[in-house]
Formats: sequence, structure tokens, C-alpha cells
Amino acid sequence: MKVGLFVTCLVDLSRPGIGFAALKLLEGAGCEVVVPATQTCCGQPGYNSGGREVAKALARKVLAEFRDCDYVVAPSGSCSGQMKVATVHDLFKGEPEQADFERLAARWYELSQFLVEVLKVERVPGRFAGTVTYHDSCSGLRELGVKMQPRYLLGMAGARIAEMEGAERCCGFGGTFSIKLGDISTRMCENKCESIRAAGADAVVGGDLGCLLNIEGRLRRTGDTRTKVLHFAQVIAGEG
Amino acid sequence: MFFKQRASEKLGDELLQGNMRKAKGKFVDGRAKAVAEFGVWEEVRAHAAKVRDRALANLDAYLVEFEANATRRGAVVHWAETAEEACAIVAGIARDNGVRKAAKSKSMVSEEVNLNEALEAAGVEVIETDLGEYILQLAHEPPSHIVAPAVHKSKEQVAELFVKAHGKPRLTEIPAMTREAREALRGHFLSADMGISGSNFVIAETGTTLTVTNEGNADMVTTLPRIHVVITGIEKVIGTLEDFATLIRLLPRSAIGQTVTNYLTLTTGPKMPDEADGPEQMHIVLVDAGRTKLLGGPMQEMLRCIRCGACMNHCPVYQNVGGHAYGWVYPGPMGSILTPVYVGLENAGDLPNAATFCGECAVACPVKIPLPDLMRKLREQQFDRKLRPWPERMAIAAWGFAATRPALYAFLSRVGARVAAWMGGSDGLIHRLPGLDGWTKGRDMPAPQGRTFRELYALRQGNRR
Amino acid sequence: MAARRGILARIRKAQGRDGEEPTAAELAAVREAIARHEVGPQPPFAHAPDRLAQFRKECDRLGTTHATVSSLAEVPAEVARYLAAGALAPAVAGWGEFAGLDWAGAGIGYRNRPADANDATGLTGCFCAIAETGTLLLLSSPAAPKLNALLPETHVCVVRAARILDTMEEAFALMRSEAGEPPRATFFVSGPSRTADIEQTIVIGAHGPYRVHAVIVP
Repeated sequence: MKVGLFVTCLVDLSRPGIGFAALKLLEGAGCEVVVPATQTCCGQPGYNSGGREVAKALARKVLAEFRDCDYVVAPSGSCSGQMKVATVHDLFKGEPEQADFERLAARWYELSQFLVEVLKVERVPGRFAGTVTYHDSCSGLRELGVKMQPRYLLGMAGARIAEMEGAERCCGFGGTFSIKLGDISTRMCENKCESIRAAGADAVVGGDLGCLLNIEGRLRRTGDTRTKVLHFAQVIAGEG
Repeated sequence: MFFKQRASEKLGDELLQGNMRKAKGKFVDGRAKAVAEFGVWEEVRAHAAKVRDRALANLDAYLVEFEANATRRGAVVHWAETAEEACAIVAGIARDNGVRKAAKSKSMVSEEVNLNEALEAAGVEVIETDLGEYILQLAHEPPSHIVAPAVHKSKEQVAELFVKAHGKPRLTEIPAMTREAREALRGHFLSADMGISGSNFVIAETGTTLTVTNEGNADMVTTLPRIHVVITGIEKVIGTLEDFATLIRLLPRSAIGQTVTNYLTLTTGPKMPDEADGPEQMHIVLVDAGRTKLLGGPMQEMLRCIRCGACMNHCPVYQNVGGHAYGWVYPGPMGSILTPVYVGLENAGDLPNAATFCGECAVACPVKIPLPDLMRKLREQQFDRKLRPWPERMAIAAWGFAATRPALYAFLSRVGARVAAWMGGSDGLIHRLPGLDGWTKGRDMPAPQGRTFRELYALRQGNRR
Repeated sequence: MAARRGILARIRKAQGRDGEEPTAAELAAVREAIARHEVGPQPPFAHAPDRLAQFRKECDRLGTTHATVSSLAEVPAEVARYLAAGALAPAVAGWGEFAGLDWAGAGIGYRNRPADANDATGLTGCFCAIAETGTLLLLSSPAAPKLNALLPETHVCVVRAARILDTMEEAFALMRSEAGEPPRATFFVSGPSRTADIEQTIVIGAHGPYRVHAVIVP
């Protein structure tokens, strides 16, 4: 089984460890993993800023890079939503390429869904002796239905889950929104951090690096240096 | 002043923030409970979207059919292309009939066209009778929510307004305030010459207009004064009474988590010759004022909107800044789409960008309007018409240029990762980042770690070979 | 009429149809779609096995109190009991339909007329009731003024058990068969009036009645 790893631009730039954690999990489960060296970004920042053409150009680039993979896996619900939903239902809707993107969408998985639903993993290498609280990222949750999968995997790693109030509420990241409307974004993030503090977990865990950088940035700014902020891949791969 | 500045002010308004905190969750929890016990929510939602689409797809024919039936039943149907025309029509009806006082039930279309101002200029005293609207009329403020217009006010603020308006001792309890308003308004219902209401839908089959309320004020307004004027948008037309039955299962549940509102009133024509109650004249004003701009393209789905307010109740941006930040009568996600279309994209700058695309509104919308997608369409128009500030456009252009050129992108990201890691210092946090102060004003930026994944991966693959 | 022409023409242009007005064929198609009176999906509880129980349950939820009597002749006594229990004056303004009952025998002053602002209690019948939502449906007519259900602080409504239907759609079908078209006011009442406009706190008794009492008769 040849699995393409779409690393995501944020992981590539900012937290390579998440990419290696994903790699370890996939290889550990017996996948042949390829990482196309030319990959950059799924195009979502452009798409959500109104730059439709650049988003289409980048989607085509991703399609070409992963053409010969049985599956494509990304450690992000947001980028996966872009490639599974936006391309098929909007960007290439009614165009000749729509069928190509439908085929790509059918092979494309968010990491936790791939591990649970395709690989059906029953054990993970990581151990986490403590409590975690899980932040549901918007795209993964509402576009793809990522909800129980990461919690199930975290449970396999021995983590106790302390649910926060409003786990499904947006953290305020929203890509360029976090910069364009920084004050509102910060307030939304503070609301999220209040829930995280109230949950009293050792770590806040999520599946999208954008949200995690946002949350970590606010926690640290407000003096919380203790709560770990981790991608679930890091926890279950034992790379946290 | 644009959304961004107004929103920042609202975030710093301690009183408003306190009032918003009190309201927080009530609508959302109520709706969630009502949907959970309903059993066939998605099926009814899909049917409702179909019913709305069917009328919108042949909007002209449905309107003509409605007009024919309403006229047959004795109502006078007026058409208004613009807000000004709508106001002129209602003011004309008032003038022709010697109207001195008009009692109004809640109508967002009347807010949209500024009807009260126009009537007052024509010498008509206008009394808002929905409790929330009455409070705001006393406060000289616009509504901040389409269902709960005074959601931004505390009871203490209301008590203060009532002392000034009613000249009675200050009240502290909400039931007593409600009673005082009831008594103050009862006389106006009985003495008004004209009742003005909106209409949540108009029914083509029967020529019927209708109101959906809990207070009963709309029933007073449509029953007691000698003239009843309905002002509503052309997109509100539906086919049948059965279509209404479907939509009304969704509206109160979506709005406030109620299975049904206390009053639903279908009004068809003026009173019959031997009836004891009801108005002598019924006028219906069908308003365009921008609605046809949404037709026939990707934005048409917005016209399905049934004004339940669920999108704003569920919007984390709205929850934090309140309705007034949006600058016009329609706030929240639906307003972020309607306002730019009705007043012009160039006059509504930030509104299509006032969303993280978290998707909660699209999930909550009872008629399945893809609100984030429609906001994105407006962003595309802004992008194409170069309406966003140039640094933002430059940044997107530069990013697009690099991201489509892997070698350049790899070089830039390697440099970027190193520089940013250096900026992060020993704690790995960037406290201030020029150009990105929208982020760093309230948050640190966790710094990259120095090398990109692809660099490290290439190294690993090299070592393996 | 320039506005009408302008709006209709703009709609047609936006949707890619020629001409300035809907064609006869388009109008016929709309009338045909309307005539189907397509009924949408309904929640399972709308067709409860025990319709009366469902009606009562929804009445409870909305704050409509209810009592069941064994004949129409017992209505005055039930109304007297209800008013006395609430310390309300033994007088009602009611519809002519019920003027022939023995109100004096129950100690109640019955005013056979539309209610005015001074009446404390209004008495009405209803066209039918709807179990799905615990709703009373009143159709206006010279004999059925709406004001009796609206102006007084207390509204008592006589409901015939056989006229309790499952859904609003059934009520509309019955209305079409018995009355043809909706009358001027088709008035659905579901509990006493309320508001939550101050701090989202529910208060019973906004502009309409504070109390709604359904008397169910066979």
C-alpha cells in the first residue's frame, strides 16, 4: 500500500516533528510512505482570501504530485477539507477536472481517520501518562466528521481525556483571519483557553497545527508555560 | 467606520461584554435540545430548502399568483423597488387616511428601509410594540439581533429607560418591567390608526401574510387599528399552507428552541362587512431593495433565509462582538452576506472577512444556506475588484507566486524557518512580529524550530541510502 | 406600477427568462405545483398513538392548562372552578356559540360579545386543535371574534376532543374542506403570551393573555 504523506505547509515550516510522527505511525503500520519533495501548500489560504485561481493552481499541483499513490494522508483536517471538499464541490465543480478531484478525494484521508478507518490500528507506539483535553478543529469536525477517531487513538496511548466545555467551538485561528481581525481572533482564542484551563489537563491536543499555534501562543502570552500543546500524532507516536 | 474598528471597540465595552455573557449559550442550548428531540430534523430541513428554492426559481410567477389572490381577498398590493419607494408608499397610505399614530410589530424590512424615520417625517407617531423594539425605540438604538433585538441591554439599562419614559418608580424585576410596558403599550394598540407588521412568509395559494410572535403584539397590530400595512421582502413568497407548516417546524426551534411560538397568525384580507374586529383596509408592500441582485447566480441560496437568527446565535464572532459591530440592520453571518449585497461591497469592507469559516452557521441554518461559501464568494469579488488593502493583496500574490514554484518555496521556507527560529530566542516564542501585529498583539507566535520538514526528510532519506 | 414592472422584469432577466411578466404557462405550472399541496416530512411524535395525551403534553410544555369534562353542559361549572381557583372574577366575554349554556347556574356572568379592553376573561371555541404542538386554531368570523382570545388576561377555550388533529397540515386540509379558504385571521394559539426580550428571561404575559385554559369536551 503506497501512501503519500501531505505534510502541510505549516508542519513543514514550523513543526517538522508532527510530520515525522505521522511518518512513524504510517510506516509502523506497514505502509510504504512517499513524500513528494515538491509539495508546498493545499491552496486554502488563497481560496479563503478570494484568490480562486491560485487555489486551483495549487490543487492541480497537489493532484499531480500524488497521482500514483493508493492513498494520501495529511495530519490536518483543514488541508484535507480543502482537498476533499472544496475542490470537488466548488473549485472544479462542473469542470472536466472534477472527476480527477473526486478520485483524489476518495483516496485522501485525514490522519486519524486513516489510522482508525483504513488501517484499523489497534495499538500505537506512544504512551502518555496524564490527562489531555481535545480541541476539535472546525474543518475536520464539520467537513469531515473527525471526532471520535483521535480520542480513540489517544485512549490507546493511555491518555485520559478530560473534555473541555465547548470543545467544538472555533479557537479563532481561521487562517488569515487571525491576522486580519486580530482582536476578535484573540478574544475567541482566549475563550478557548479559558475552557482549556478549566479542563485542567496536562496537555491540549488537536489535529490542526494552525489551531495549536494559536492556542499555544495565547496560553504562553497569558503566562501558562505548563500546559503542553500537542498534535495527536505526536502523542500517539510517542514523539511528544 | 468599518467592522474591524467597531468590533474592537465592542470587545472593550465591559458593559456590553457582561450583557452578552448573560445571553451566551441560551439560544444555542435551546436549539440543540429542540433539534435532538425532533427526530427528523435533516429531512425537514432538506424539504424546507426545496420549498424555498421552488418559489425562488419562479419568483415572478409566485409573486404574481400571490398578488392575484391577495387582491381577490380585498388587500391592496404595492411594489417597491427601493427603500425610498417603500417608505413613500406607506407614508402615502398614512397621509391619504389621516393617520396620526401607527403601532408596529417587529419588522426587519422596516428597519432596513428606515420606515420609522420616514413616517415621523410625515407627521405620524410610530410606536414599536415588540418589547425589545420598544426598549430600543426609547434608547434610540437599532436592534443588535434580528430575533432578540435588545439582547445587548441589561435589565438595569432597561429599568433606566422605563423610568425616563414612563415617569414611574424604578423597577428591578423583569416581570414587573414587562407588565409596565404592557400597560404603556395597550393604549397605543387601541388608539393607533394604522398597524404595521412584517410577514415572515407570504403564501401565494391564498394571498396570505403572516406573523410569528410570542408576545401577541402582532395580533394587536393586525387586528385593532383601522388600517393594516404589511411590509415585507419579495423573497418571502412560498407556495402553500403546507409549505408554511414545514417552515414553521423549523423557525421557532432554530430561533429560540421553542417547538412553536405562542402565536402564529395568518392574515388574509381586511375584515368582512359583518365582522366585529379586523382592519378596514389591508395594504401589502412588497420590497425589492437589493433582493433581485441575489437572484440567478451563486448567491441566490441566500434568499432562502427565514430570519431565524440561528447563524448569529452560533457564530463565535457575533457572540463576542454583538450585532451593532456589523454596522447595519442584519448582523452575523447572514448580515455579512446581505449587507455587502444590499449596500454595496465597497461600502461593507470587512464584513465578508468577519468569519473564521468555522462552519457552525452552515450546520445551524434550517434552510441549508451555505453561508461560509457565500461569504467566500464575496471575498472572491473583493479580490477580483481589488477592494482589499494593497498589503494584503501583495501578500497573497507573493505567497501564490512562491507556493506554485517549489524550488523558490523551499528556499524561502528554509530561510524563513531559520530567521523565525532565531527570533523565537530561548523560549521559542516570537513576542512581536512586524506586519503580523494582529496576531502578536494578544498572542505569542510559537517559533519554527530552524529546519523544515522537507529538509530533514531529505537528510533522513540520504542517510538511509 | 412601474415598480411592479421593474421588479418582475429584473427577476426574469436575472434568471435568464425572456419577457417582462410570467407567461401563462409559467403561471399554470405554479398553480399546478400549488394544487399538489405537497406535505413535507413530519416528526414521529406528530402522529402519536394517544393523540389526546400528546395534545395535553404539549399544552403542559407551553403553559396551557387543561381540563376534561364529560359534556358541553359541564363547561360553565369547569370555568367557574377554574376562575375561582385562580381568584379571578366570575365573568366572561364569550362567543355566541356558548351563550346558551347555563352560565348563571354556575355563578358566571356571560357577556355574549367581542371582548374589549376591560374584560378580564374571554371565552372562545376553536375550529380545531393540533396535538403535535398543543395548539388551538381559531378561525375568525362574525361569530368568532379574535379579540376574545387576545385582549383579556385570561383566555378559556372550549375544545371538542374529536376536533383534535395530529398536525397543522391536517388542520389546513380540514379548513379547505369545511371553509374553502382561510378566513381573515387564521389564529394559532399555543399557550399564554410571553417574552424573553429582557436578558433572555422568559416572562409569561406580554401583550396577550397571562393564562390560557383549554376545556376539552367530548
